[in-house]
Amino acid sequence: MKLSYKIKVKNPLGLHARPATVIVRLIQDAKSSVSFTCHNETVNAKSIMGILMLAAGKNSIVRIDVEGEDAQDVMSKLTEVFENGFGE
Amino acid sequence: MVTVRQVFDSYKDTLVFEVLGGKKGFSKSIKLPEVHRPGLSLSGYLKNYVNQRILVFGNSEVSYINDLDSDVRSDRLSSIITQETPLVVVAGKLAPPIELINSCNSLGVPLLRSSLKTMELQSRLTYLLLEKFSPTTTCHGTLVEAFGVGVIIQGDSSVGKSEAALSLIERGHRLITDDVVKVKLREGLYLEGYGAELTRHLMEIRGIGIINVAHLYGAVCVRDDKRIDMVIKLEVWDDKKFYDRVGLEEKHIDLLGVKVPYHIIPVKPGRDVALLIETIVLNHRLKEMGYNSAKDFNIKLLETISRKQRKRKTSL
Repeated sequence: MKLSYKIKVKNPLGLHARPATVIVRLIQDAKSSVSFTCHNETVNAKSIMGILMLAAGKNSIVRIDVEGEDAQDVMSKLTEVFENGFGE
Repeated sequence: MVTVRQVFDSYKDTLVFEVLGGKKGFSKSIKLPEVHRPGLSLSGYLKNYVNQRILVFGNSEVSYINDLDSDVRSDRLSSIITQETPLVVVAGKLAPPIELINSCNSLGVPLLRSSLKTMELQSRLTYLLLEKFSPTTTCHGTLVEAFGVGVIIQGDSSVGKSEAALSLIERGHRLITDDVVKVKLREGLYLEGYGAELTRHLMEIRGIGIINVAHLYGAVCVRDDKRIDMVIKLEVWDDKKFYDRVGLEEKHIDLLGVKVPYHIIPVKPGRDVALLIETIVLNHRLKEMGYNSAKDFNIKLLETISRKQRKRKTSL
């Protein structure tokens, strides 16, 4: 299954080291491949360095692409942490 | 998309640009990385004229316009400068004819002046534009330089790419970038890899966190960019899969239209991945020098077989 969803970064500091850790921990066991696209740059979301390289600030739009058998589950987990601003 | 503003901002120091007019056209996009001297077109010959090229006016163009009758000047200029023209540059710090400034201003075509000589400006601008227009892509992997060979180490997350890179660094090789490699096609021929400014020389190691390789191991262990010579994929060992045992077959992977040698290394505990990578690299260098271990061995083997057969025949 292939899913794509655009989401806004809500927490004030953007995707810095801590949110990146939250994201990677959430999806590291996922079977699906996950990528983030922001400012025309696409990276593997299972890589901390990748997410950090995006340097996505508050209110920037990130496109999440998930492909694989557990795509639905991964996508709902990801949108949830983005929505609650990674608890920040 | 490349705009005039981007070109101006990036090269205003190297090409010594100053703005003379057409400021409202700075947001225009440049569609072709081509620089044209409109000498022949100015004389009225407009067959095969492409109006999306950047125009460079040198000494001959400017003096030609100045020699024309004043009523013809605007006519000739308006036939080569249209709204499609992305940019006009006057070289050699020449004073542009007033008609040129007027038509650039009225059409909103940016007019710049450079103090470089015409030929120098033309060749440098073409080179820089080709750089800006060259295709790029991002790929997941770690780029290292081992024995002067640029290697992208790929593989699923947690297969041990960063650890392999770390052992290579420890053995005196160099890191270019970890996890995210930006790849650029250079001169349409070869690939160059580099890392993002922000995460340059940083690595993430499971259980340790983010480390700065340049600070830990010193400047000798890092590089900013490197030509990509091969891709090595690390894979979790699969007993059912058949891995290359002889090395006669050469695999390639396509990156931006360039064929790059490709190797798969199965990983399992106890295999020294850094040593394996070093060996592949050395073997690659040997091949580049014209010596292929596997082929050479096979030729020897075939010779031995045929010699044995001849012996058998004569003894019969």
